[in-house]
Amino acid sequence: MRKPGIDFHTHPLLVREMVERHPELAKAARETYYIGNNFQPLETFHLELDLAGIEKAVVLPMDASTVAGAVVWTNEQVAELCRMSTRFIGFASVDPHREDAPQQLTRAVQSLGLRGLKLNPPMQRFFPDDPLAYPLYETARDLGVPILFHAGMSWEPGSRLQYGHPLRFENVAADFPKLRIVLAHLAWPWVVEAVALALKYPNVHLDTSALYFDNPRDFLRFAMTQQVPLTVFERSLRKQLVFGSNYPRVEIKNMAAAIDSLGFSEECLNMVFRRNADALLEAGR
Amino acid sequence: MIVKLIRIEVQSRQDLEMIDITEQIERAVAGSGVRDGLVWAMTAHTSAGVLVTEGIECLERDVLAHLERLAPKQPPEGTYGYWHNRYLDFDGRLGFNAGDHLKSILSGVNCLFPVENGKVVRGSRQKAYFVEYDGPLARTVLIQVLGEGTPNDKT
Repeated sequence: MRKPGIDFHTHPLLVREMVERHPELAKAARETYYIGNNFQPLETFHLELDLAGIEKAVVLPMDASTVAGAVVWTNEQVAELCRMSTRFIGFASVDPHREDAPQQLTRAVQSLGLRGLKLNPPMQRFFPDDPLAYPLYETARDLGVPILFHAGMSWEPGSRLQYGHPLRFENVAADFPKLRIVLAHLAWPWVVEAVALALKYPNVHLDTSALYFDNPRDFLRFAMTQQVPLTVFERSLRKQLVFGSNYPRVEIKNMAAAIDSLGFSEECLNMVFRRNADALLEAGR
Repeated sequence: MIVKLIRIEVQSRQDLEMIDITEQIERAVAGSGVRDGLVWAMTAHTSAGVLVTEGIECLERDVLAHLERLAPKQPPEGTYGYWHNRYLDFDGRLGFNAGDHLKSILSGVNCLFPVENGKVVRGSRQKAYFVEYDGPLARTVLIQVLGEGTPNDKT
């Protein structure tokens, strides 16, 4: 039986209490993030975590103000949510096109208490290795916070897949060896390329929040046992894989059950579900 | 003629769960002012149900286990698959809960009781349940009371 874990990839888009306080969040959920589910009380989020054997969740905003003219939760709103529940770990998002992006990140970490940075190159429309974003990477490195990058497939209309190709992260990994990078969604469909990066660069991590067809069990079995053998994750990347669900696009319970069913050792499951996330988050403290 | 519609929220706490809503239905009737008529309850969701059965825990388990056998969340490997396992652009996510929708169809989504002298008429062992097939979620149940009586505007 694995220990209570951390979900490294959730979006608090459906939290009803926050939508009631900030009505613009409803529009952001529907029109920028394209999620159609009903808004839910905060309690539902907690129950979802409980059912999946997860203690805490990283909650992610997304600032695409330059390209999409929209912010899907501000850093202040994420911090507000984190004050409502000790089970949330807030990340910041800043728009890398803005000149003051590094200062915004510094404020989010030092004043708001946020503990990482979320960037979404396909939605924010920048190549990860564009020098435009380098000052932001330097700031994240100096602050000691990880960056969770959306990588691979993007559903959102208007996004372009080319910005999320894992090879566009290689220069970042190489140029910032002390910056801890997490590529979300196993960078599917480019799982092999993402695994190659992680094998080569110890500062590259992968999160498991990938689901693009079938169901969580069958999809992850395909991606993590057929596209890449499970033994590669178990033996070579056990310290670089973190559990993520992408809730509410997928229920946490279903993603956790899928990872549990793959055949990892209990020791590896405890690393994937908890210890690796702890290590990523603690280094900046 | 009184026609009164009440919306209640039911918070499920498990993936599969039966939640007794008999009291909420009786309360809706009592507050409606209807003396003789009907009360009808319906879930507003397609991966949940409303049904009537004997109100004992062992039977609750049997109902859920049997529905899961008839419409499993994930069919046994190598047997069949669900067409619903695909990206739903209108929801911004995959639909992979066909089994839960099928359970909803099998159990039904509503129940009906007569109302006599302001009281719900039901068998002594009958309970009305909201049934969760894809929880935990906050769900809406609609309760409509129709009939003759004296309107109670305070409720």
